[in-house]
Parts: sequence; structure tokens; C-alpha cells
Amino acid sequence: MNESTAKRFYLISLIATVVAVVVGIQMIRIQNTEAASKLLSEGELYEGETRIVYPDRGSIYDAKGRLIAGNETTYEVALDLNSVSQPKTVASIASSVLGLDYTEVLGYAETKPGNGNPYYRLLVDFVTADKIDQLETIKADYSSREAKGNEIIPSIDGLVWVPHSQRSYPEGELGSNITGFYSFLDRTGGSGYFGLEEAYDTQLSGTPREVFLAHNPQTLSAVEEVPPGISLVLTMDREIQAMTEEALDEAIDWSGAEGGTILVYNPEDGGILAMASDTRLDPNEYWRYGELFPNPTPYNAAISKSYEPGSVFKVLTMAAALDSGFVTPETRFNDTGAFSIGGHTIYNWNRGGWGDVDMTECLQYSLNVCMAWLSTGMGEQTFYSYLKDWGLDRKTNIDLGGENYFPMKLPGSSDWYEVDLATNSFGQGISLTPIQMAMAIGSLANDGKMMAPHVVKSMIINGQQHDVSPVVVRSPIKASTAHDITEMLVTSLEQEASNALVDGYAIAGKTGTGEIATPYGYSSTETNASFVGWGPAADPKFLVYIWLEKPSISQWGSETAAPVFSDFVSKLVVLMDLPPEEGRLANNDEWYGE
Amino acid sequence: MEKDLLQAYKQAPWRTQIQRVGAFLLIVVVIAVIAGLYLNISGQSAATGRRIQNLESELANLKRENNDLQTQLGAIESVRELSARLDTLNMRPLTIEEALYLEVPGYIPAGGPRLAPPPVIKAEPSPILLPEFTSGFVEWLSQKLQTGTSETVPTDEAQQ
Repeated sequence: MNESTAKRFYLISLIATVVAVVVGIQMIRIQNTEAASKLLSEGELYEGETRIVYPDRGSIYDAKGRLIAGNETTYEVALDLNSVSQPKTVASIASSVLGLDYTEVLGYAETKPGNGNPYYRLLVDFVTADKIDQLETIKADYSSREAKGNEIIPSIDGLVWVPHSQRSYPEGELGSNITGFYSFLDRTGGSGYFGLEEAYDTQLSGTPREVFLAHNPQTLSAVEEVPPGISLVLTMDREIQAMTEEALDEAIDWSGAEGGTILVYNPEDGGILAMASDTRLDPNEYWRYGELFPNPTPYNAAISKSYEPGSVFKVLTMAAALDSGFVTPETRFNDTGAFSIGGHTIYNWNRGGWGDVDMTECLQYSLNVCMAWLSTGMGEQTFYSYLKDWGLDRKTNIDLGGENYFPMKLPGSSDWYEVDLATNSFGQGISLTPIQMAMAIGSLANDGKMMAPHVVKSMIINGQQHDVSPVVVRSPIKASTAHDITEMLVTSLEQEASNALVDGYAIAGKTGTGEIATPYGYSSTETNASFVGWGPAADPKFLVYIWLEKPSISQWGSETAAPVFSDFVSKLVVLMDLPPEEGRLANNDEWYGE
Repeated sequence: MEKDLLQAYKQAPWRTQIQRVGAFLLIVVVIAVIAGLYLNISGQSAATGRRIQNLESELANLKRENNDLQTQLGAIESVRELSARLDTLNMRPLTIEEALYLEVPGYIPAGGPRLAPPPVIKAEPSPILLPEFTSGFVEWLSQKLQTGTSETVPTDEAQQ
């Protein structure tokens, strides 16, 4: 290599080095400018997106595993404005299939995205799958066409649909007083109202989780799965619930009642088998709530509407009197037809005196005077102590949203008078909900043990089914008292040849006719008719509480609620597979056709 | 003479050039192989990532489809639908007078539905062998020092 060549070589090397250094410095400078950091931060936005994933709301099943509340797919339809190529076609299809306003959609579709205009414009939400099927068919049809000459093939590119879950109640209004409803139209802030949807809202909803979804395929990783909400299996049996609702509707029609409630309770474990009120809402159309339940109509009268129950309460007074030892079933009482207390006189329902009667006959003839004698004889402390043990001064805490109660007047309070001790004994001057009555009377059917009423039998958490254990609230009376009162009520129904009797089954029960308080005293024409009964008496599997509000065909519970009970229990024992006490057993030859 | 000797042992220029070119090419090949491997791995990683994304999307779709099918089944088997079908078939509920019962000795009615398995009770494994036979001397000694207890070996007398 000669000297001049070497010089040229060195010069080129120097130039190349200088250029490289300048490029390097420039690279470093550009990367550290304000614009670069802004560009970097903008770039981070495209790395992925942070999204809140809402878990599927837990399902609700009946006692036999049939779906009461679940989820179904629905769609939101929107415009991806970057992809819209034929605004008129898009507007036309959106209008014809989805029923949207053509002009409005066209206006959106012709908008250029950016500069403050959105890239994604929601048109309509909660579109059903059949509408989406129509859109998909149209889209597939347009895609399959081939252009001939200068023909322009129509396109609905830019019209997009995104699926999401929606609460669904396949049984419609069946059991809706128990389930409540979920405001699914509010996709991010929806919540449960009344019943199970309210009481178990947090558990059913699950825990929403914030997840980062990377756009860069190299940094993609499996998104952590968000577990669904807790599912519930109920004590409620769908068939019994349907029969109960049907029986209640028929009873209201037949009796001309203004409303009513039927409650079927398992006294052994406190499970609610069915619970029906006269006003029911299809939770799939929960927005009709205001229309169907004008203030102050309760959503579930069985747990939130209190009333003076009348003579059905006498079973508790008698149980307290027996348990405290004040009387025995054989104790005799001379009924003169009147009982004076606190300056007031208590009369029987027919204003007559029944003479010498035993305690069973006191119940059988539903004698107010006898009950007043029992409560005053026990003394206010003993009597109200039993009522408190039965939880009549507080909520039952059933696992349903919307439970209510009416505070009980107690001795010592300013609104309690001596006469209340007498009137309370036959269910007047005391206001209770059907669920309070059912829970308290349930102790008479369950060896004296009072079970906490509940609707949820088990919960499915993370794919495992956890059973809910029944809870004994307390034992307000002895088992022997419970057996005695049950036997007395069976006898009284049979001796009375009551309308409530069920052929082949020993049933313990009591009618009730409660007078209704008005601002001007008690109404002489309108009553609340009730019946409480449990059976089979030897080993009770159900307790049925019926309340008919202001029946018009008769004011007496024995003529309205009692026959409804008989008819209802005749169907109930078949659904519950409860054989009669004796007889009607198929012999094996007949069964096998030999 | 010295110059002549050096010249005698020096590599031929063409040979040196070939060696340099060879070394350069070797470096290029190594870099190309590394780059190729990197591209291959990153390509596979991206493809896997995309596959995961697709599978997650498919999983979400299947879950939705499952929910839909459950709800559809619920609607088909709803009391309202079944009642309508029973009416069509001219069927009606059994009455109390028609119900016959058969005594089956030993029959235990089925309990409630099991829609999911019961919770698994995680039992702590109980050691069959004493720690003396399962752990090393140092481990055993440190355990003893930590607990501060000294076990006495049961004697025949103690057992009696």
C-alpha cells in the first residue's frame, strides 16, 4: 500500500467514525428529548390494556338441582368507525334488523374517528342472539358475493357485536318472591334486590379482578382465571313452589281475598320448601317493579308484612301454659263467656260461654276467654318470656333480603296496657309476619327445638359443594310439651270435623280469624283468615302457614283458610312422597302385576 | 540473511487473506445462527402467546355457550313448559286418592342433588416412621435443639 492510498484510507475511516459518532450522539439525544418520552408513554398505551373482568354471577338451583337463575349471552352492537366503509348500508341494516333510527346511525357511521370523535360508538346493548344471527347471515351473504364489472358489493364492515353475560331466570315469575332480582341492565353497577339476590349479592357476584391484556404477542401470557360467583342450591322445591303459587292464586280467587301468603316450612331443619305471595314479578323484566309493587306493597309478604294473626296464635299461648306447668291437657276451665282485665272485658268469638271445658276443647272451640285466663294465670313475665324465646320480638334473620318485623309491645313500655296480656294471648294487639309465626310454631312440630328458617341448602364455591348446616335457634319448650300440644291439636281438628282434615293423615292444626285494626278501632267486617298446620303428626315433615287477607266469602278462617289448607296438603303429601299413616299401601302382588 | 529467513517462514499473503475472510465469515455465521435461533424462539413465543390468546377467547366462548345451554335447558324444562306439554299429552298430576306406596325394606331416599363434588378435606400426612429414621443426623439434631425436648427411648419397663 503506498502512502497516498493509506492517507485516503485513514480519511475515509475518520469520516466514517465521525459519522458514526454523530449518529450515536443524535440517537442518544433523540431518545432523551421530551418528544421521545411522550412517544414512549404513548407507545406503552399500545402494549396492552388493563381491563376489569367481572366474574359470571353464580347460579341458583332448586332443591333438586333445577336452574332457577343463571346467565345467558347477550350482545352489544357498536360501530368500529375505522372500519366503516359503507355508512348507508350499515345504517340500513342496523335500522331494519335492530330497529334503530336510520338517520341517527347514519350520522354516527359517517363521523370520522379521531380529533375528539370516538373510534368505537355503542349503538345498542342487550341484543338477543337471534338478532345477531340475522346480522351474521347478512354479513356472510355480502362476503360471499363477487363483484361483476363496476358493481359495488354492499358491506356492513364496521358494524361489530361483542358478547357478554346477562342474568336470566328461566322459570320467570316462579319463586320470584324468594329469588328477588338482579338489575342486569346496569352492567358495571348492577346489584341484587330482595330475596336471595340481595341477601347473597356479594357471594353471587364474586370478586371482579383487574387484569392486563398484552397486545405484544411475545409478552402474552395466560390471563389469570377469574373464578365465578358462588352458586346456591336451595331448600325450595320447584314443583312444590309452583303448586303453592297456583293454590294461593286459586284461594284468593275463590275467597275473594285482597291478598295472601302460603308458606311451607320444614320444621326439622328450618328449610323453606315453598313461599308464595300474591304479587309476583318476572325478574327478567325487573323494571316493572314500581308498577307491580306500588308503595307500600312488600316484595315478599311472608317475611315483610306483619298482621295480627288472631287465633292461630293460641297454639303458642297453650304451649307456654303447658310448658310452664300452669296447666296440663286435662286441666278444666269453666268458661263463662267473659273475662275482665284492666277495665276491659274479653269475650269469645260468638260472645257465648262454653262452660266446663278441658284444654283441648279450649283450642277446639278457640276460646278467647280461656286463653286470657291462661296468659294472666301464667303471669306477664312468664308469658312474654316465652314469646321472646320464640323470637317474636325480632327478625328471624332468614337468608332473604327485605325481612321486616313489627316491634312487640312489652310490659314496662309506655304503649303496653294490662289488657294487652289478655288480647295478645289470642293473637290480637300483636303484629307478626308469617315467617315469625312459622319459625315459632315450628318448635311445636320439632320436639321443642326451634330451627332458623333458611332458603339456602348448599353453596358451590370454586367447584365444590358445601352444605349449610341447619341451626337450632333455641328450645323454647320441652319435647314433651311439643308432643302434648301436637296431640291436642290433632284431636281438636278431628273432634271438630274440621274443613282442614286430610284423609289418611293425622294433621295438627289451628284456624285463626284476626280482626283488623283501623284508626277507629277494630273493623267489624274485615278479617285476616289464617291456618297453621303440620304433619304427619307422628313425625312432622312440613308446616304450612296460610294467610288470606280480608276474604269476602266468609270472615272466618275455619271457612276460608282451613279448606284451602286441606286441599293444599292433599297435593303436598303426593309431591313430598309422604305415604298415609295407614292403608293405601300397594301389596307386592298388585305392584308387580301378578 | 535474517530478512531471507523471515520471508521463508511468513505465510503467503493469499493464505492470510483467506484466514481473515474465514474468521470473518465464521463470526458472521455464528451471529446469523444466534440471530436465527433468537428469531425462531421469539417467533415460537409469539405464536404460543397468540395461541394462548385464542384459547382464552375460545374458553370464554365455551363458558358463555355452556351458560346459554344451561339456561335454554332450564327454560325447556321449566314448570310452565312442562305443564303445557303435559296438557298436550292429556296428563294431569296424581291425586292423593290415586297415589300408591310400596314399602321397600332398607330403602334410603336419595339426598339432595350433588351439582359439584364435596369439599376435599386436606389431611396432614402422619409419619409412619419416627423422624430418627427419616431425617439426617444434623436435621434431627437441629429439630431437637429448636424444640428443646429430649425424647427418652421407651424401655421394656416403661412399656410394662
